[in-house]
Amino acid sequence: MDKKNNFIVETLQRFGNAFVRFAQAIGRLFKGFIARFKDGSTGTKVAHLIMGFGNLTHKQYIKGALFFVLQIGFLLIFMLNPEVNDTPIGFKALQNFITLGTEEGDLFGRLADNSMLMLLFGVVTFGLIVVFLAAYTANIKSSYASDLMVREGKKPLTFKEDLAELLDSRFHVLLITPTIIGVLTFTLLPTIFMIFIAFTDFDREVVPGLNLFNWVGFENFAQIFTGSGEIANRFLPVLSWTITWAFFATFSCYIGGILLALLINKRTVRFKKLWRTVFILTIALPQFISLLAMQQILSEHGPVNAMLMNIGILDEPFAFLGQARTATTARISVLTINLWIGVPYTMLMTSGILMNVPKDTYEAAQIDGATKFQAFRNITVPYIIFITTPYLITSFIGNITSFNIIFLLTGGDPNVPGSVAGQTDLLVTWLYSLTIEEGDVNIGSVIAIFTFIITASATLLSYRRSKAYKEEDTFQ
Amino acid sequence: MKRKLMLLVMLAVTLFIALGCSRSNPLVIWVGAEVQEFYQEKMEEYIEYYNANNDEPFPFVVEVRAADTGSAAATFLDDMDAGPDILTVAHDNLGRLIAGAGAIRPVQSQALLSQIESQNPETFLNVITANVGGTEYVFGIPYEAQSLILYYNKKYLTEEDVQTWEGIWSVAQEQGKRSLSITGTDGFNNSFLVLSSVVETGERIVRLYEDGVLENTEFVTDYMVSVLKWGQRFFTSPNGARQASDSGWSADLSTETSLTVIGGAWHFNEARASLGNNLGIAVLPQFTLTEDDVYGDVQAGTVMQSGTFTDTKMFVMNRSSDKLDYLEDILLFLTHKDVQEQSFVRNSTLPAYKNALQEFDAMQADDIRTQLAVAQIAMFEHGIPQPFGREARFNVFYYQRQAPDRILSILRNTDNRFNTDAAIVTEMIAIERIWLGHRD
Repeated sequence: MDKKNNFIVETLQRFGNAFVRFAQAIGRLFKGFIARFKDGSTGTKVAHLIMGFGNLTHKQYIKGALFFVLQIGFLLIFMLNPEVNDTPIGFKALQNFITLGTEEGDLFGRLADNSMLMLLFGVVTFGLIVVFLAAYTANIKSSYASDLMVREGKKPLTFKEDLAELLDSRFHVLLITPTIIGVLTFTLLPTIFMIFIAFTDFDREVVPGLNLFNWVGFENFAQIFTGSGEIANRFLPVLSWTITWAFFATFSCYIGGILLALLINKRTVRFKKLWRTVFILTIALPQFISLLAMQQILSEHGPVNAMLMNIGILDEPFAFLGQARTATTARISVLTINLWIGVPYTMLMTSGILMNVPKDTYEAAQIDGATKFQAFRNITVPYIIFITTPYLITSFIGNITSFNIIFLLTGGDPNVPGSVAGQTDLLVTWLYSLTIEEGDVNIGSVIAIFTFIITASATLLSYRRSKAYKEEDTFQ
Repeated sequence: MKRKLMLLVMLAVTLFIALGCSRSNPLVIWVGAEVQEFYQEKMEEYIEYYNANNDEPFPFVVEVRAADTGSAAATFLDDMDAGPDILTVAHDNLGRLIAGAGAIRPVQSQALLSQIESQNPETFLNVITANVGGTEYVFGIPYEAQSLILYYNKKYLTEEDVQTWEGIWSVAQEQGKRSLSITGTDGFNNSFLVLSSVVETGERIVRLYEDGVLENTEFVTDYMVSVLKWGQRFFTSPNGARQASDSGWSADLSTETSLTVIGGAWHFNEARASLGNNLGIAVLPQFTLTEDDVYGDVQAGTVMQSGTFTDTKMFVMNRSSDKLDYLEDILLFLTHKDVQEQSFVRNSTLPAYKNALQEFDAMQADDIRTQLAVAQIAMFEHGIPQPFGREARFNVFYYQRQAPDRILSILRNTDNRFNTDAAIVTEMIAIERIWLGHRD
């Protein structure tokens, strides 16, 4: 009980500390800003209004011009509001972000405002503002740094020297920049967009460009707890099956893989390389081919049914997957097939680990009189667990968002009459059905947010509490 | 030397990208994959004719592209600007396409309107027309039709057996087989029961969005309860009907597990591959309500005719097309009854033309493809077009809120939940509320 309370208090404290640190950082930012303005040269002061001016006064012409062009470019975009697909980016995009469009359009006139693009371009414009603010701050810092160099009797860096620095002491910045741009554009922007969609009524009845959609606040989230529709009825059953699936899929493959690796690594087993190759072949085959083959093998007119009927175990074909009579049958089937897909990965990794367990540890144990089983229990197992904990966590998270296996094997069935989510649907496959098949993008976004919260929390909590994190130097 | 080489490479790359990005502006038409080649040829004919009769040559290159007509409307709505100038859709997509500001342009050419009116049956005219802002507009130009028919195994079933479900059922019992595999779980697949009609009066037992009005919908009737009870007997019998196995309906046919399948023309090739020369085609059978089935005022012994949705594929025009001036003349040509007959001969597509059976010479042949067409046309007497075109939401209510699953659940008596009339009626009321747009 105390442990539990401590954990809650600790977590709350961490959140509190993070918030305080964030506020302090903002404070420092403003303090620095004011200090630079007070202490800076006239050029630096003017750079607060005209970007690049400070650099120009220090004869850093290229750098100054770049900052100036950036400012002009930003202001032009912001004021002229260039349009893409009849939807503006810039100041108007901020207005549109609030209204999500007002023009309903008509048959012979113009189309309706595209609420989806308006939302997207609103997010993009916010992004542009953030990028501009970063450049604005960099412009002042750069000018102020030159001021300080002049005061110290040094010559401000030329553009060439700046570039040379990028290839030398600031090389990490050069390398990480493309990655950051990629993450911002292809991960962060869509994620923020998706989060905003969850607060709208963008459902199956909306076609962007033909009808408008609007902000609805937390209405979609409230449906989980207060509604009586699909999301209210099916969220908890789907969530609990998702967790169950992730648990069993992860640990069955993990234990199966370790046992298989131990078996293959046994001294008495011959043709080790052959066995490893056979299992690696299942990795080499595209997963969906293996899954579709499995589906056919287990289908009602497939070879497994034919064999069971031939030897008299079954009188008529038995449905193992989507058309199974009970959810349990279908669930056990997908978990079993998942073994075929997942075990070789663990087997391969564990084989590598087993070959690298420090031999002297075993020797020391042997001298101390440990039996083989004791050595296995106290050396091999902890060693494997220590090394594979991060893999175990990513594997668990991967299984929570595992799409192919369920989609290709059962399609989420056996179905639940009246519901989109079937009895083997995971959160992600349900999300797919809701958005792609049913067009309820807003509800899909809510599910996606919950999925993210679950996976992120599970990852952080389990990894931070694992030995692999706490004692990361132990086995080095 | 190195610099020059690098400059040359950069120039070549820039040129390559510039050429790759430059967009030509062809006139694009989406049709089903099975008729793509045919319509490309027809468009070449059209351009030849156009060039011979006009001073200026036809100003565009025409590209007829194969598209999945089932999802064409959704694909088009995802990005209208990237869409074709003309596309093929099933008529029940009309509501989505004209929702809000409308993604497609109504027909305005008098010549095309006259052709549409003279060539098409009234049932089709009703579903290609919609009221926008108080005015009726024609949005679609029908050129193909489709309905559900029965594919059966002639090795076991005679023409007489397939007149009634009971005939098929009794052969299935004798042979230890299944009577029927349905190909899917959506509303199309239960339509043989839900849209059935009383043979004596011709009265249909369901009302669905009649005249495009949401409230003109009635599912909970004595006849419907009786038919669903009959259906429940059929679907729960070991020799009755079932959802296709997870090996697929064609495997059910080829392994002779099931004797029949209800399907459309799009199932023909697979059905033929499964049964070869044993493939028979017939109108959907009749069935008789027994004492066990009747409910309310319905009399035992009432003979019912299986129903179907009778749909049309139609061309529609992208309202954002920059070639609207040319599109209606092209459609006048492509949907003319002569082209429909040519397509039937070449591609076995069922003409939408109302007098095809009488007027088309090709319809008088006795091969299996003609039987397929004739059976479909015969089913038009027992069916209705999907009545969802006038309003975007009808299609959503009918198909996407799991009402079909719930009907199938009554038929299969899932978990023995529908053993009583009261339980069936309660579920039917829930389904009717879904159709009426209630979200509970």
